[in-house]
Amino acid sequence: MSETKGKMSRRDFFKGAAMGVMGGTLLGMGVYSYSPWRKAFFPEIERKMADIGVCKSIKVTNISETSWFTNATLMSDIKNAGGLLVNQYSYNWPPFGDGTGLGRGSYEKGIAKIRHLLPNNVDEAWEVTKRLSVSPENAGGFAALIEVEQLNGRKRKFLLDSGWSYKWMDESFKREGIDRMLANREIEALIISHEHFDHFWGIPVTYKYDPTITTYIPDGFYPEGLDYIKASGHKGKVVKVKPGLNTIIPGLATYVFAVPIICRVYGEQAIYGNVKDHGLVSTTGCCHFGIIQFAETAYREIAYENNQLYGIYGGLHISPFEDWDPKYDDLVISLGKYDFKKIGCNHCTGVLCAKKFVERGYPVQRGTARFRSPAAEYLGNGDKIGFGIDV
Amino acid sequence: MEKFGAGYLEERKLVPRWPQPIPAIVSLVLTMVVFYITWWLFQDPRGWMRMYTPYVGYMYTRWWLIVLIWMVYIFNYWPFRRSWVEKTHPLLKGAILTTISVFILLLLIKGFFEMLLGNFGIAYFNPERLKALGLTEFFSLEYSALACLMFAAIASWLSPAWIVACEERPWEKMDQPGKGISILVMTFFLSTLIFFVTMHSHMGILYYPWQYFTSIAPPYWEAFAGTVSGNFHVAWIMCCTVMVWTVETIWERYPFKLIKTDWLRRLTAFFGIIALAFAMFFFLYFAQELTWGEAIRGTRLINAPDWRWLHVGEMAVFFLLPAMFITFYCGNWPKRFSLPVNVLIRTAITIVAASLIYILYYKFSHDFLGTQKGFMHEQQFPMIPTIWLINIWLCHHWFMDNWPGWKMVPKTADEIAKDHQAEKELVADVKWSPVLGWGLIVGFVLGVALYFVIVFILPWLYKVITVIPQ
Repeated sequence: MSETKGKMSRRDFFKGAAMGVMGGTLLGMGVYSYSPWRKAFFPEIERKMADIGVCKSIKVTNISETSWFTNATLMSDIKNAGGLLVNQYSYNWPPFGDGTGLGRGSYEKGIAKIRHLLPNNVDEAWEVTKRLSVSPENAGGFAALIEVEQLNGRKRKFLLDSGWSYKWMDESFKREGIDRMLANREIEALIISHEHFDHFWGIPVTYKYDPTITTYIPDGFYPEGLDYIKASGHKGKVVKVKPGLNTIIPGLATYVFAVPIICRVYGEQAIYGNVKDHGLVSTTGCCHFGIIQFAETAYREIAYENNQLYGIYGGLHISPFEDWDPKYDDLVISLGKYDFKKIGCNHCTGVLCAKKFVERGYPVQRGTARFRSPAAEYLGNGDKIGFGIDV
Repeated sequence: MEKFGAGYLEERKLVPRWPQPIPAIVSLVLTMVVFYITWWLFQDPRGWMRMYTPYVGYMYTRWWLIVLIWMVYIFNYWPFRRSWVEKTHPLLKGAILTTISVFILLLLIKGFFEMLLGNFGIAYFNPERLKALGLTEFFSLEYSALACLMFAAIASWLSPAWIVACEERPWEKMDQPGKGISILVMTFFLSTLIFFVTMHSHMGILYYPWQYFTSIAPPYWEAFAGTVSGNFHVAWIMCCTVMVWTVETIWERYPFKLIKTDWLRRLTAFFGIIALAFAMFFFLYFAQELTWGEAIRGTRLINAPDWRWLHVGEMAVFFLLPAMFITFYCGNWPKRFSLPVNVLIRTAITIVAASLIYILYYKFSHDFLGTQKGFMHEQQFPMIPTIWLINIWLCHHWFMDNWPGWKMVPKTADEIAKDHQAEKELVADVKWSPVLGWGLIVGFVLGVALYFVIVFILPWLYKVITVIPQ
């Protein structure tokens, strides 16, 4: 009898304990988890204050920001190929068209048609791929020339990205004299922001003029992209930059973010410039990680002049297709508190976003809307911006 | 009087064809094969229809779940007669009922949302109208799908909640289809109400300029949530959905069924599920802060508060998978202890299994499902494959009686009476005693301590487990 009673008591105790454990845990979850007390568990942010050096000024020339010319065509291709997650090499866009139609291509079949023409005969390669590809006339590209003046007055040049269409990029290079600079070995390195078609697929145009140029790519490239660098006739050094900070020259560093990006791309690098007496300048290709993330990372990782976030140039990837989402409003609302002094946005920032920036009174530099740039709300093709220097 | 499928799920006896765990393994393998084939056919960005755009595929997945709930939980298989439900071969029954569910799904999306609401109520439900207003075809489809699926998120909580928590009150004694229609109208009405106070303002600021006259802009939750995005609401609503099914499956409607007064039990269950969901909601957000650091408003990807809220909902759905598997294919194991202990063990198993599935998903989904690599991306929606698998399990369990692992045999009146008696005894077993009270106090202290231990070790745990190699 007492044994049964003991068993019953033990059973009752465990019953109660089971109820109590769940109740206690759930109460903790509900009451504590979003309370101000939870912040006791957050570690203090320690600024690493890495020294990337200082430069006198940075000048950026917008070679091309028009990655494609009509959103409707691009989005129609993306929709009909299966959406934003489809592998970019299978769209059958140039230069990897193989004549089988939208969404049915592959890198291997596409490159086989033009490999023998790269990099010297990019015009002919483009003519070949035009016949085999989907929407070749819509292809443009993103590229920018970054000129860094060092404290001793020496000027050094870097190319950020190489666009998409061979034809468009070659024309744009010639328009801004990039072809000559490359041929004269004036440009020290090609910094590829990420593997996307509109930033990377035009590399044969750069290699046509300088096949030995050192090329920095972010870690995360897929095998197709790595092979394409070789297939494009590159004979120089390829530096795969690991996630994190990578100083290039005094006052200029890249930072790689391990981030997933649409069309099956992974990883992006962007550029920090530290301008004497002004502050930090961010130059980005697409900024898929977000400009505020870039600013916050700078704050945590590096030391910069006057502790001031000074300028921005490039795509901010907010409404690249003139689409919108309320989370982009979070960015628009929040950007003000970072107090940037000069914003030279374009490309995937979107005209709509630039309008919203202007409405909030941010110092957005207007453009001239030349060379097929869609609007003067932001810096267009052929426009320049200076940080620490007037242009 | 024809009872259609009322009480069918409780009154069917599923007899395993082989000793466990063989039927469970067979069912898992079979449903995973069906999942993978259908995923490739309908959703995979490398596959045939490529509906994972992502919102279009997501919308159909969410609404299919709700249609299945309507057919079985709300309409009790009406208009199919009970004899047909009991005697038809599971394969044929599964094929017919699944086809009907897809037909209802298309009628709902194309007929109700796009044609009716989208043409005569709110433009954002109809992609054609958005296109005519100047949006690209792709975003017209995506935005209208987003609106539809946000409605679905609410309906996927309220539709089963009226059965599980409110016990079909006040229509429980009504015949079909009157009962089904009544519950459908009620839950749809509540869903509409909640849609307007949670999601409509998100849609109102999705378009330029903000729709100040027709929505609350900026939305009222901005300061509390750290974002103007409606993902804040998606999160707690998803937690409500998960909690409803947790209570219904591995918790066997515990602890609410311990309340003897009918109206009090129903009311407590309905609001109790919301309270439990909020505990989960806040904790899963905190868990992300502990592993990835505090969210920063305005950032993109993993540090953005809007994504963190969305990820709360995504994480919550991972818990549904093991919970449903335990109930559907493991006979709600274990059953040998008292109800609270059984529930605690099942919950612990579910949490461990969900964590493992979460890790496996992010390790392999990029290669196997064609989704984005990494934890976060605007197009990375783990809710699509997880709910897609749940839908397949629901079809298998509700429409096919777990064939071929189990054989369905209707219970005799005696067996049904015994079940009712056993249920009464199970509930009666949990009664107050001083020893239980001591257990409760000790357990409560342990529960609070467990919470803080988890909070303490989470950052360390995240550091030692490499889910996605850099």
